[in-house]
Amino acid sequence: MALAEMQTRSESASAEAADTFPKLLFGHAVQRGDRRAFREKDLGIWQSWTWAQAAREVTAFAAGLHALGFRRGDKLAIIGDNRPRLYWAIVAAQCLGGVPVPVYQDSVAAEMQFVLDHAEAHFAVAEDQEQVDKLLAVRDKLPGLKAIVYDEARGLRHYAHDFLVSYEGVQEKGRALLAKDPDLVARETAQGKGSDLAVILYTSGTTGVPKGVMLTYDNVLKTAANAVAFDHLTEREEMMSYLPMAWVGDHVFSFGQAYVAGYCISCPESSTTVMTDLKELGPTYFFAPPRIWETILTQVMIRIEDAGWLKRKLFHYFMGVARRAGGAILDGAPVGFKDRLLYRIGGWLIYGPLKNVLGMSRIRVAYTAGEAIGPDIFNFFRSLGINVKQLYGMTEAAVFLCMQPNGGVKLDTVGMPIKDVELRIADNGEVLYRSPGVFAGYYRNPEATAETKRPDGWTHSGDAGFLGADGHLRIIDRAKDVGKLKDGTLFAPKFLENKLKFFSYIREAVVFGADRDDVTAIINIDPQAVGNWAEKRGLASASYQELAALDPVYDLIAGCVTQVNRDLAAEPHLAGSQIRRFLILHKELDADDGELTRTRKVRRRIIGERFKSLVDALYSGATVAQVETAVRFEDGRTGTMRATLKIRDVEPAGPLRKAG
Amino acid sequence: MAAAKRIGEPVLEVRDITLSFGGVRALLDVSLEIRAREILAIIGPNGAGKTSMLNVINGFYHPQEGTIAYKGRVRQRMRPHEAAEQGIARTFQNVALFRGMTTLDNIMTGRLLKMRRNFLWQTIHWGPALAEELEHRVFAERIIDFLEIESIRRTPVGQLPYGLQKRVELGRALAMEPELLLLDEPMAGMNVEEKEDMSRFILDVNDEFGTTIALIEHDMGVVMDISDRVVVLDYGRKIADGSPDQVRRDTAVIDAYLGVAHEA
Repeated sequence: MALAEMQTRSESASAEAADTFPKLLFGHAVQRGDRRAFREKDLGIWQSWTWAQAAREVTAFAAGLHALGFRRGDKLAIIGDNRPRLYWAIVAAQCLGGVPVPVYQDSVAAEMQFVLDHAEAHFAVAEDQEQVDKLLAVRDKLPGLKAIVYDEARGLRHYAHDFLVSYEGVQEKGRALLAKDPDLVARETAQGKGSDLAVILYTSGTTGVPKGVMLTYDNVLKTAANAVAFDHLTEREEMMSYLPMAWVGDHVFSFGQAYVAGYCISCPESSTTVMTDLKELGPTYFFAPPRIWETILTQVMIRIEDAGWLKRKLFHYFMGVARRAGGAILDGAPVGFKDRLLYRIGGWLIYGPLKNVLGMSRIRVAYTAGEAIGPDIFNFFRSLGINVKQLYGMTEAAVFLCMQPNGGVKLDTVGMPIKDVELRIADNGEVLYRSPGVFAGYYRNPEATAETKRPDGWTHSGDAGFLGADGHLRIIDRAKDVGKLKDGTLFAPKFLENKLKFFSYIREAVVFGADRDDVTAIINIDPQAVGNWAEKRGLASASYQELAALDPVYDLIAGCVTQVNRDLAAEPHLAGSQIRRFLILHKELDADDGELTRTRKVRRRIIGERFKSLVDALYSGATVAQVETAVRFEDGRTGTMRATLKIRDVEPAGPLRKAG
Repeated sequence: MAAAKRIGEPVLEVRDITLSFGGVRALLDVSLEIRAREILAIIGPNGAGKTSMLNVINGFYHPQEGTIAYKGRVRQRMRPHEAAEQGIARTFQNVALFRGMTTLDNIMTGRLLKMRRNFLWQTIHWGPALAEELEHRVFAERIIDFLEIESIRRTPVGQLPYGLQKRVELGRALAMEPELLLLDEPMAGMNVEEKEDMSRFILDVNDEFGTTIALIEHDMGVVMDISDRVVVLDYGRKIADGSPDQVRRDTAVIDAYLGVAHEA
């Protein structure tokens, strides 16, 4: 124990001395050179690199970038799935005093062009042909782009462009340069300091065009160090890096914290093999947005429903035990002898094997953030003994503002402010904060910066919330989205949408009501869960559209809406915003059609415009609505979809309007 | 996009082939050649003799008249396994995989012809036999990576959707390291997205490994996009042979597809 403590202390001491990522990297290469730092599954086998090997790879690549003409202050766009080489490119750019700009790998060419153009990135590292093709498509509009480095050569052999270089080619150039000038990278690295710009992360843009959030080394490292200390993370953690590299969540969990604590990150074989790879890896530290927890739970439930009679009975019986006792045992709360014994037996028969299949046997700490998580989902994982907690953060704060401590996990909160973070709730309910993670500003956007970072020293989060008596923060909605019905009743759309989405049958929901007489909703069903449900009842459907139009499916969803209304009726100030009418949309909301952001958040305004005829029908008293929408296929072609949708009324539960 | 590729000399020449089943003439006096490193599409209305042509090329059917020269060797009869040994691989119109076996095992069966150790060695599964299996496994893994089917490596192919089964079948054909790849309707029954994926894989195979490809396909958009040359069959006769553009403008082809009456 004392030894471990000493080790953590010496680690945090060295972390303070090294104030940039490149310095940390070379520090790790000396202190724990033989420890695994990166893993990637390739051709079915996990390949790994130690910190010392990673440092050599980064040095060669950095020198190669220098040979290509990459200088202090230059931006390096990085586009692709999570791969060690792309993580190395981040540090390589930082070694030279440059700024990495990770770009969402599923962006279409035009989105990519916007980011590269706005960030003034003259160099790009692209994973493969797919990404290179997108860059080439917009190259005419990016006159500043000097070189594209590709990692995967497949399909690129005949691309005769001299600005196109392979990753190995760059490293070779680098090694040649290092032979002449061995200290080049060390010299450049030494010039970096904590207050320098470390990274620009473009926010996915729930609100209009993406903004480039500039974070300094101090922002990321100090915040990451506080979070590492909060959960006592060590170099022995195992972590899977599978979320988009351009998202701050991945940047902090698989990069910032990994460098601070010195733990190993593992990249999956491909985006489709994450679940299998997770099982093989067995991470100790895991981060996933609610959507992924939900997907995992849905898959478990589907497989259980298909399992044999005995397995199903055992599962449901012991999950009942787990619901009663699991969470309490995890929190260290008192639990009766009988339940404790049953939980032990359940661990043997059900929870253990199940966690093993999910690759969650070794998880010490896991987090969910970004959106509210459904109670069923959250409680399911916690009752299995998986320590899922919630946190609150944002790109502009280098993530961590609030985190739930062990033993203080609650469903409806996002935790308490961590070390060095101060919170204040503004009069309009908006959450304001001060922390070492507060960003340097939006790149080339002083107006937006001034709106967020106010002269009084508080940064505006844009979220509405309140601090409970227990010191935990609770978030209700985006501050600007909290509206009022015509009669002045409080209307928090996201809160309602999340309540709807907690049902496994509902994938997305968009509610309307601001300045209207009552609240209505457009629903997207979950094709997997509803499809399974329908199949069991012998209801045939050939497509999403057919499934969504079935009367029994409408009944099913009406049941969910009624349940939500019952919950709302129980809360006095929200009782007025019960959902009165809804319809099920004929298509899935899709980021390619601009209806969702790349991180799959609904764009309420765009949906409101696009499906205006539906919204009008919801408020006209009609029983059906006509809709015609343009859809964009993945290859860029467009087509139209026409449909007639049914509208269903729902009875409110309890009194709608407050008396008096 | 890509620089002009080097299309070489004919690797396979079919001369004056006539094939009949009893009184039915499937192919009549057809001659065609397949050139090294090209993608040749064989198209035509239903019953035009396209699949018969592929079956003649890889030795399933033996034509009554005519000769086939493959890599300079003229022959009249060849058995399918001889064709396979000489580097001709194919996929089928109706997927023909081992449904109970996994993707990986199916692809490994494509390596059987390349295995040198005999049955006994393989049973012992030790020493040289193990080393050999590992070598083949690495090859199979390259194909899995190439076709982006990592996530279904361990899934029995019978459980896979049709589009993926087609991809596995292509994987098995590639495992034979073929010089000439025959694809019988590789995109039948696929949706637009699956077709695009498959087209990209076909182009990549041709590009990366220099494999010569002859394919039968009904989707004209796909054919015109990916082929270097198109041969059109109609009622067992060849009615056109040229670049996609030439074929598109050919009046005989237009007539065949629009259904001009044929004299008996």
